[in-house]
Amino acid sequence: MRFFKDLYLYRELLKTSVKKDIGGKYKHSFFGILWSFINPLLQIAVYAIIFPLIIRNNIPNYTVFMVCGLIPWNFFSTTISRSTWVIVDNGNIVKKVYFPRAILPFSLVLSETINFLISSIIMLTFTLAYGMGVSKYILFYPILIIVQDVLMIGLSFIFSAITVYMRDIQHFIGVILQLLMYATPVVYSVETIPENFRWILKWNPMTYIIEGYRNILYNQTMPNMKMIGIIFLIGLAVSFIGYFIFQKLQKRFAEEL
Amino acid sequence: MKKENDDAIIVDHVYKTFNVYLDKANSFKEKLLFWKRNRRETREVLKDINLKIKKGETVALIGINGSGKSTLLKLMTKIIYPNKGKIITNGKLTSLLELGAGFHPDFSGRENIYFNASIFGLTKKEIDKRLDDIIEFSELGDYIDNPVRTYSSGMYMRLAFAVAINVDADILLVDEVLAVGDQHFQDKCIAKMKELKKEGKTIVFVTHSMHLAEGFCDRGIWIEKGKVRMDGKSKEVTKKYLAEMA
Repeated sequence: MRFFKDLYLYRELLKTSVKKDIGGKYKHSFFGILWSFINPLLQIAVYAIIFPLIIRNNIPNYTVFMVCGLIPWNFFSTTISRSTWVIVDNGNIVKKVYFPRAILPFSLVLSETINFLISSIIMLTFTLAYGMGVSKYILFYPILIIVQDVLMIGLSFIFSAITVYMRDIQHFIGVILQLLMYATPVVYSVETIPENFRWILKWNPMTYIIEGYRNILYNQTMPNMKMIGIIFLIGLAVSFIGYFIFQKLQKRFAEEL
Repeated sequence: MKKENDDAIIVDHVYKTFNVYLDKANSFKEKLLFWKRNRRETREVLKDINLKIKKGETVALIGINGSGKSTLLKLMTKIIYPNKGKIITNGKLTSLLELGAGFHPDFSGRENIYFNASIFGLTKKEIDKRLDDIIEFSELGDYIDNPVRTYSSGMYMRLAFAVAINVDADILLVDEVLAVGDQHFQDKCIAKMKELKKEGKTIVFVTHSMHLAEGFCDRGIWIEKGKVRMDGKSKEVTKKYLAEMA
């Protein structure tokens, strides 16, 4: 496929733009890369205090439970919301130089994946601090990341291209992501949800991905590989369709920006 | 088969129209509420352009402002696409349309060389090989390790030009960028382009300087109102053009 050839030819661009994204973010800040930890830790602190108060649960080590859902969720939500801007933000190069535009959303997903790997340290720190240790199921961790990445690449293709033509897609996406967070077992467990609402979780692919991470790190059991496999196939389909849409829309990027 | 290989750029029945929004509804709300507001004019910029540019040719595109020269150049780089017709290019292509695209102000000149050259599709190895040439050509010396935001506009331009010209492409598309920079640097750029010409690179050049068009290019193409008005030896084309403009 054309896309992979482009990726190979422009591998240096991919590498430098990932480097630029990660390095440029903290260039002017006092705490630098530490913000990658400070932000989620503050969020964790707030959630760990508030949610046990408002939702009664008998989940042991709730903080660890929540952390193992929240960090992967943030990975998803940050990537998708940033993807809406990725073409518009790079308007100055899109308008001036030819290069395969699909590199931009792809490199965003890649750099957010690296950020996620860095913040995975937080999850591991929590499981270790609570004396839960690390299980052999950690071997499935890369598989989950790949499945999530494939899904996100497809969605990023679609959202980044549409935003060029309709700028307020980003607000829609912001609202939808917020709703979706509560339709995904991030801060609660599936069991606490009444039977007649569970179909929402059942049809939400993020449920299985978040539960997958949680199974590996918190429950220390095998993730539901059948569902993960199905989501991988869905992700592939979304990526194909997304790339097709992206290629259709990218022809007029330079004129619309 | 042989014939196709001789051509660096083939422009085949190309039409390009732009939608000019007089009052653009950019958001969904505006699109819903003011659906009538989306008044737009279509402007036909290029009408049925047919060109064949051979390998190793140096071509000057001349014409008054708004005649469609720059649009034609942008079509050749694939930044924009034609509405009708086809453009085929053979060989690695670099464009000196607008310089310094993708420079990150907080990174050093050296780091930005890597960013900028990678946009042109160079790999790390290829950039490493050219790094010294680029730094030397830019005449930035020790400043190369300072952040680009501390550069003067002249230094910025020099660095950008140095990268673009050292990409080692087969086809070079140049848009009126030489107007910036001091006399010394301009001369240097022209000298470099002459060198590239000697190496057999294809160069397409948008310019308002008839002196350059005549002196540097073999062939002149005069674009008027989106059509090819005249195509021939650069001397003859510029002569006719100047006669008409006077």
